[in-house]
Amino acid sequence: MSSHPDTAHAHAAHAHAAHGHGEGHHHVASAGLFLKVLIALLFLTGITVGASRVDFGSANMLIAMLIACVKASLVIAIFMHVWWDTAINKIMFLGSFLFLSLLFAFTLADQATRSWDGPISVQRAPVAEQWHHPALADKKP
Amino acid sequence: MSHDGHHSIVIPAPGPEFVPHTVAHHFDSPVQEFQACKLGFWLFLATEILLFGGLFAAYFYFHEAYPETFRLGGQQLNWKLGAVNTTVLLLSSWTMAMGVRSAQTSQKKATILFCWLTVLGAAIFMGIKFVEYKAKYEHGFLPLFGGFEVADWFKDTHHVMKDVPHGHMFFAIYFTMTAIHGLHVLIGAGLILWIIKGASKGRFHAGYYLPVDLVGLYWHLVDLIWIFLFPLLYLVP
Repeated sequence: MSSHPDTAHAHAAHAHAAHGHGEGHHHVASAGLFLKVLIALLFLTGITVGASRVDFGSANMLIAMLIACVKASLVIAIFMHVWWDTAINKIMFLGSFLFLSLLFAFTLADQATRSWDGPISVQRAPVAEQWHHPALADKKP
Repeated sequence: MSHDGHHSIVIPAPGPEFVPHTVAHHFDSPVQEFQACKLGFWLFLATEILLFGGLFAAYFYFHEAYPETFRLGGQQLNWKLGAVNTTVLLLSSWTMAMGVRSAQTSQKKATILFCWLTVLGAAIFMGIKFVEYKAKYEHGFLPLFGGFEVADWFKDTHHVMKDVPHGHMFFAIYFTMTAIHGLHVLIGAGLILWIIKGASKGRFHAGYYLPVDLVGLYWHLVDLIWIFLFPLLYLVP
């Protein structure tokens, strides 16, 4: 009997008792669930294409990204088994999206709050000016 | 003491067509091996998210700066081929999920079959990508061979992107993101072939399917990235 409690051994013993084999923490998702997720993903792809054909103005980007996020959530939760995974693995993977959101937030905050009249090489031309550009003039919708 | 590190732990094979798995000597138990490897792989996938995340941040930045240019650039891509490739990747993600499930339930033949179907999906995806790249190269959209000076890009005076303000930005981002994604597709396909080899030898079963699980996660990540690339590049909002 070890004087130091060893959780790994305790889990192994539990896994042997509960499942009759060595790995523990198994979750086998049903094939029916996988099929439903696949159908949902294909359906949402159709919605993505359909929504891109309708002019919602600046909301088009938001709609496209919302649908993509729903699709991504299905893949992560079900196909990647994150729904049934351990807390530490959830934190590890989902935490990366938290840090990614920091990158997006500060990048887009910078983008949105720039004064675009300085001599910056990546200066944004006003939208109207872009359309008045000779190369784009005949491509206006 | 059976867990003092001097005795190897063996997970028995569930049937004659399988082989037992010996837990690596530096792990105390099968659970520790499984969880340590899986945690490490999730950490690797987190770095992948941040790799592609930086590229997506660049996309959003320049899309916000030159929305009309990006829309015109997106219209030069074949959205139908993009939609077919999206469908192919979603289907292959499903076959991979079923492959992992088959390994979890000790179905050797099904594991091998679903893995082959996934490799087939990867091959179709790369084939379509090749057709797209070839067309874009022939129509002078690939900036690399035009030289590294922006002024040298889209040299053809009749080129649709000629003199479009910052027209090169869309295609620089398109080629960078799809090429790095395509590289992941190729690496993923290679890993799945390695899984097929191991599965044929009966290495993966309910007692030990860790490599199938991890390669599956990698393949789903490839699908995950494309779910965002398709609307952003082919259907520029």
